[in-house]
Amino acid sequence: MRAVSRIVRLKATMPKKKNNKRRFTVSELIWKSAVSVAVISGLFSLTVSVLLVANYLQVTAISPLDNPQLLALRQQLAAAPDADEKLVAQVRLMDLLARKAFFTSQAHLKMGGYLLLGGVIVLVMAIRTAMKYNPRLPNPEGPPAGESYWLSRTHAKEIVAFVGMVWVIVALLAAYLTPLDLPPPGDVPSAPAAESAISYPDWETMQKNWPSFRGPGGYGVAFYTTAPTEWDVESGKNIKWKTDIPLPGANSPVVWDKRIFLSGATAEKREVYCFDTETGQLQWSHALDKMPGTPDTPPDVGEETGFAASTLAVQGDRVMALFANGDLVCYDAAGTLKWGKNLGVPDNHYGHSSSLIAYQNLLFVQYDQRKNGKLFALDIADGKEAWVVNREKISWASPACVPTKFGMELVLNSEKNVDAYDPLKGTLVWQLKCLDGEVAPSPAYGGGMFFVANDNATSTAIKFNADEKTPKPEIAWQWDQSLPDVSSPVCADKFFFMATSRGEIICLNSADGSEGWVQEFDDGFYVSPILVGDLIYVVDKKGTAFVFKAGVPYTQMAKASLGDEVLATPAFLDGRIYVRTVKNLMCISN
Amino acid sequence: MNRKPVAVAALLLCLWTAQAFSEFRFPMPEFESGYTHPQMNLPPVSKTSPVVDVTLLLAGLALTAWSVLKLRSRRMVFMIALFSVWYFGFYRKGCVCAVGSLQNVLAAFLLPDFAVPLIVSLFFLIPLVFALYFGRVFCAAVCPLGAIQEMCAVYPVQLSYPVQSMLGLFSYAYLGITVLSIYMGAGFLICRYDPFVGFFRQGASFNMFLAGGILLLTGVFIARPYCRFLCPYGVLLRWASRFSKWHCTITPAECIQCRLCESSCPYGAIVVPTPEDRPVDRLTGAKRFGRLLLIAPLIVVVAAGAGFVSHEILARLHPTVWLAEHVTEAEQGRLTEPSLDLDAFRAGKQSSAELYAEANALKERFKYASACFGGFMGLVVCGKLIRLSTIRKSKDYEIDRGECLSCARCFAYCPVESNNAQEKEQ
Repeated sequence: MRAVSRIVRLKATMPKKKNNKRRFTVSELIWKSAVSVAVISGLFSLTVSVLLVANYLQVTAISPLDNPQLLALRQQLAAAPDADEKLVAQVRLMDLLARKAFFTSQAHLKMGGYLLLGGVIVLVMAIRTAMKYNPRLPNPEGPPAGESYWLSRTHAKEIVAFVGMVWVIVALLAAYLTPLDLPPPGDVPSAPAAESAISYPDWETMQKNWPSFRGPGGYGVAFYTTAPTEWDVESGKNIKWKTDIPLPGANSPVVWDKRIFLSGATAEKREVYCFDTETGQLQWSHALDKMPGTPDTPPDVGEETGFAASTLAVQGDRVMALFANGDLVCYDAAGTLKWGKNLGVPDNHYGHSSSLIAYQNLLFVQYDQRKNGKLFALDIADGKEAWVVNREKISWASPACVPTKFGMELVLNSEKNVDAYDPLKGTLVWQLKCLDGEVAPSPAYGGGMFFVANDNATSTAIKFNADEKTPKPEIAWQWDQSLPDVSSPVCADKFFFMATSRGEIICLNSADGSEGWVQEFDDGFYVSPILVGDLIYVVDKKGTAFVFKAGVPYTQMAKASLGDEVLATPAFLDGRIYVRTVKNLMCISN
Repeated sequence: MNRKPVAVAALLLCLWTAQAFSEFRFPMPEFESGYTHPQMNLPPVSKTSPVVDVTLLLAGLALTAWSVLKLRSRRMVFMIALFSVWYFGFYRKGCVCAVGSLQNVLAAFLLPDFAVPLIVSLFFLIPLVFALYFGRVFCAAVCPLGAIQEMCAVYPVQLSYPVQSMLGLFSYAYLGITVLSIYMGAGFLICRYDPFVGFFRQGASFNMFLAGGILLLTGVFIARPYCRFLCPYGVLLRWASRFSKWHCTITPAECIQCRLCESSCPYGAIVVPTPEDRPVDRLTGAKRFGRLLLIAPLIVVVAAGAGFVSHEILARLHPTVWLAEHVTEAEQGRLTEPSLDLDAFRAGKQSSAELYAEANALKERFKYASACFGGFMGLVVCGKLIRLSTIRKSKDYEIDRGECLSCARCFAYCPVESNNAQEKEQ
């Protein structure tokens, strides 16, 4: 400062007469004042800048409508059958508060912007004033340019040549280090279905078991044509055994040979169970350990969905289970953990409920979410991805693996579309936009047609071209009366059947969509109807099973209670029904 | 300098951050009571006629030329700059702009289906014509991008000649990439990455605000970094200005070689008298020059090869290629972050296979376009080296017509200027 002051004093000795053309005016007082203002405004601007950046980062990180409390309240409201005014008011208040907090933060950001601008303007003006009253006067030093002139030109040439070389090197290095790997045209980025390290059962063997939700292929048709129609839980008539299930779960039993597999979970625990088909005894049970990616806090799930809604898939001696937090595990028949991974917590406001299904060596996971949905095909041997495709819309439906005349097709419902994939390659075979709303029912198949339905949309029968090799889907007919929102439809040869949450069972003619009949019941249906021979089995929410003929008119063959509420779809095998009620697993056998 | 212009600038700059954070979006509340949201009312589109724009451009250029060449008044130039920032910047939201018009004209030349509007053509041509007659008077005060930087250049320092020569190459690179981008249909990069338009429109991404802020902050010390080292249109103006018929001079009369102006130009646009003594004899110099001319084609070929090899990087400039890469990453599970672009692609009708086919075709085309770009950069480097190797003799302190931005700073440093003024007063 002293040196500067000395210079200022020196300059002050210069004539102060103002020249219209040469405005070199010196004033120590103004200069000092301007410097002080510049320092203060500079510090002020710097502080505001730091605060602004911090606030900006905070605001961008906040998603006010994803406030956990608000989400919980909204979920509570959605689950309530009748709108609770108090709850509605609470949601509104929370919503308002969240929005207020966000906009207040934005207002702060805006105000900060103005403050910074003000600071910068003052800073610039202060520096300009300081420069004006203590100008850098022309002061040519040293001899006129001679040697330095030529030296600077030489340096300029050198530096230009150097920069040219650097550009070339950087270009080459960047090309080497950041290759642009685009898949060749016509190919999807997927690994071919690798030869699996394990042997997998063929389609016939799969049919003779109950390997997934709604049976073999997952479209609701049992291979065996006989199942008990009479039983009494209270007296034990035709009840072969009944056993407790340790943890709750909405998943349905899957069966392979002599083993039944289930899972159960709470917010804290996740378990996989294996029961004996003959005795109902628990053969093994495994609690899942935390895996890489397993979240510390459980996801928000709907009360009815729970933490273990996905039905397991069993394929030979491997059983796979998926939980609401994204944990996916594979055990062998003996209960040895073969592999496990976390697929990422699904972004799903009711909780993940789509069930697993397997075909050949591949396990398919329909991981539809609000954003970044996927369809995974994982090698059952090691859990590695065989292929993955992106999914556009959210859903709660389960995949079906259906042998059609065009070959095996993996068919998925989502919020808008029905999508069919080649199960081995992951290529999209056909797609039809005919759904809407929050889709939970899965597709049905029969008589060469697919049938999909969802409440708030229309039910649609999808037919295909007869001649060509490539399937071309076409809407055969649509029906838009009462439709299911949880239970999946099923197809008998000439009829489609649906069971709704309102307690209706509807029969439609598959040829033209005309109503065969509509039968009303006391309670709603979450369980999906299953075709066993020429009979349809379905269970209402309170646990009453109805057996009726798969034809017109409505002919009830049996009605019997299962003794408890039922959310899971039973498994039907040769002369047996395996039922999971909310508390028990039981076997009904003639 | 007068305080008034600074105060006016401060008032104008107040508009900067009015809606700077309008990028945030917030979903509208969903009411079940039947309430309907009021229709959004947008402010009316500016009704200024294009004729007014062109007239003001012409008037601004003519006034600047008169202020620099006849009036020799820095204050006047500064006032015009303030007006340009307000009108062409804040009022017209930075568009139409001569810098951006370069892209339209290029697109009209390179793309068969692209037509350039008359107003845009005029905005492109008029500053160039003025540069041919009066030097870079457009840069001096009429260009809003230059004017806003001029206001921030409060403590400019001179860069050394080698550093300035090196940094000058980047504007050629930007020009080359602009041409490449337009030829390949990758869009108008100058507009996409205009660092100041966010201030003018009071809305841009955080990154663009940051880039603009950094450039302005840098401009406090290194005056007008965008104009000197990045502006692609500046390259054309530089070429035109070299042949200008009338250009401002440091001194209004004969140079007395007082050296007072030596450090006055923050743009390094003052050419000092060539020293008599030569570093090497004429023959050695000629041999070196000959060698440079001989290897020049090799430099161009190597640069073209480097461009060819790095075509994959340049191909990413194209939105289709960029999207295809992201879709690939997403499908292979390497990209897990949510992305609006991916969501938009998935919501569209194009399949991944179609996207890859398009991206691969573009990638192939980029090979040759990138080689041309590399060759162009090789030519630029050679041209620069040749220019630095040739000696143009100057006896007095003169203005480098290409580099000079006609800001009129140097006038105040010339004692001849002062004497003339006093004589006039007497």
